[in-house]
Amino acid sequence: MNYVVAGYSIVLGILFLYGVQLLWRRRRWTRLVARVEASRPPVDPAPGDR
Amino acid sequence: MTTTAAATSATTPTAGPFPPGLVQSPRMIWTTRIIGIAAAVTVALTVWLGLWVTPPDKVQGDLVRLVYIHPGVAWVALYLAFGLAAVSSLLYLWPRTRSLFWDRLAAAAVEVGVVFNVCTLISGSIWGRPTWGVWWAWDARLTLTAVLLILFLGYLTLRRVPAEPDVRAKRCAYAALFAAVDIPLVHFSVVWWKTLHQGATVLNANLSPSIHGSMAWTLLLGFVALTLVFVWMLLVRYRIGALEDYLGTGELEVALLERRSEGADGLAAAGAADVTAPDVTAPAPAATATAEVAR
Repeated sequence: MNYVVAGYSIVLGILFLYGVQLLWRRRRWTRLVARVEASRPPVDPAPGDR
Repeated sequence: MTTTAAATSATTPTAGPFPPGLVQSPRMIWTTRIIGIAAAVTVALTVWLGLWVTPPDKVQGDLVRLVYIHPGVAWVALYLAFGLAAVSSLLYLWPRTRSLFWDRLAAAAVEVGVVFNVCTLISGSIWGRPTWGVWWAWDARLTLTAVLLILFLGYLTLRRVPAEPDVRAKRCAYAALFAAVDIPLVHFSVVWWKTLHQGATVLNANLSPSIHGSMAWTLLLGFVALTLVFVWMLLVRYRIGALEDYLGTGELEVALLERRSEGADGLAAAGAADVTAPDVTAPAPAATATAEVAR
């Protein structure tokens, strides 16, 4: 039964850690894109559009 | 004072408008969440049934419980993940369907597939030690599965080689198709060669499953659970890929950008505390740095 418990723990542990890492990466990139977009200078309208 | 406002806006990441191509619909967000919850519930059910409800096998004893997850992770890695990567790569190379969507999908599938492939080899090895007496044997199926892992690790390495998006997509698509040749070899290895690894339990030549009752249902649930886990991971990984492609930066640039942004946070906080300080009128590092990267 030790092998069984070890197998379940390792496989589910790897999947869990990878899932958490994916969520962390998504959060990091989402924040970064939001930062970039927030810091973009506003686009001035062309003279003809004024 | 306008610069102070720019620096302050850079400190609130979620305040900025998201580019139209990257805005996720509420439906998509909820679909991802529901799949994630369903995956967690079905995995928990599989573990409960596999460890406590199903009986031990007449021959294998308790070791049969590993069978409820090992074929499931192998199914996801070999057929779903790497199969999807091969099909996506083919669709990218086909001129009529060429789109970076397929390239991103293939990359996401390969990364998730590699994780599942590692799980396949580890769970198989843990089952093999008490059954065969060895952690590893140079058996055809085991060896070809390890080769598959190495080939797709090569794919992931190739993706990190700096190149234009189209060039990278094309060379990665060819690499995925080359690696995918190993998939049928792994599948038929137990038929073509005399291997230590057992043959198919469910999808065998006679299509008559050699597993029944609660064991069969638990095995089936394991397949469903791990498929849901794969779909959830694929959706999240695809999203990360889309965000990465939008900024078009490597890990090093992103790390630098984050450090600069943190510096800008400190500047903005200092500026808010003392608005009469003369250095507040200097350009905010985050604003300039992010603008450079956005280009």
